[in-house]
Amino acid sequence: MTLLDTVLIVIGEIMIGVGALADLIAAIGMNRFPNFYLRLHAATIGTIWGSFLPLIGAALVAAGCKCLGEYRWFMSGGALVTSFVILILGPAGSHALARGTHRSGIVPVEPKVVDHLEEDESHPTSQELQEVEEGDSP
Amino acid sequence: MTGMTEIQMFIIAILPIYVAAFILYTLRALRGPSISDMVLAIDAMSYDLAAFLVILAIYFKQPILIPVAIALALWIYSLDIYVSKYLEGKELGE
Repeated sequence: MTLLDTVLIVIGEIMIGVGALADLIAAIGMNRFPNFYLRLHAATIGTIWGSFLPLIGAALVAAGCKCLGEYRWFMSGGALVTSFVILILGPAGSHALARGTHRSGIVPVEPKVVDHLEEDESHPTSQELQEVEEGDSP
Repeated sequence: MTGMTEIQMFIIAILPIYVAAFILYTLRALRGPSISDMVLAIDAMSYDLAAFLVILAIYFKQPILIPVAIALALWIYSLDIYVSKYLEGKELGE
């Protein structure tokens, strides 16, 4: 085992450890936050810090450990691809879910100071008003 | 072979933290007041499950577990999209 392999394994283990702690924090936050829109914070922590980071760490560990046999580059590359898939798809999925929830209105937004998105959805846009005026004029 | 046993010991030490997080996510998924909370908890838990599968693949030295993680991540994204489309338009879309 060369020095580079040892460095890769140690960095990967640190990443996996930080990811596990972030995962636990996100799970606690998922139970403690009172509202769906606040739970989105915990879900994002669990996705990026709790899933993307351990996968990068697992890729480094698999690349540095010769004891995994001849398939270690397959494992390292697969972990890297999975991490980038999660990095792109996790926030996109959370955003789509939040958009659908807010538009359907099954979860009330409370406590609320101001909600510009709801105001924009309830009032017609300027383009729609113009179309209505054009339709009424003749 | 000494390096592999150190990695395995580290993974054994990390494993209870992941299991505790999965139990807490499952609690939220079971008692979520709305369907969005359930889907969000399932979503976060399954992305973490994909990372956990890769870590288990290193622990058991089984490369066959890696494609399972990729497929799991893609299916959970499709679950998000399906549920959000259903909530928004009350239909699954085309």
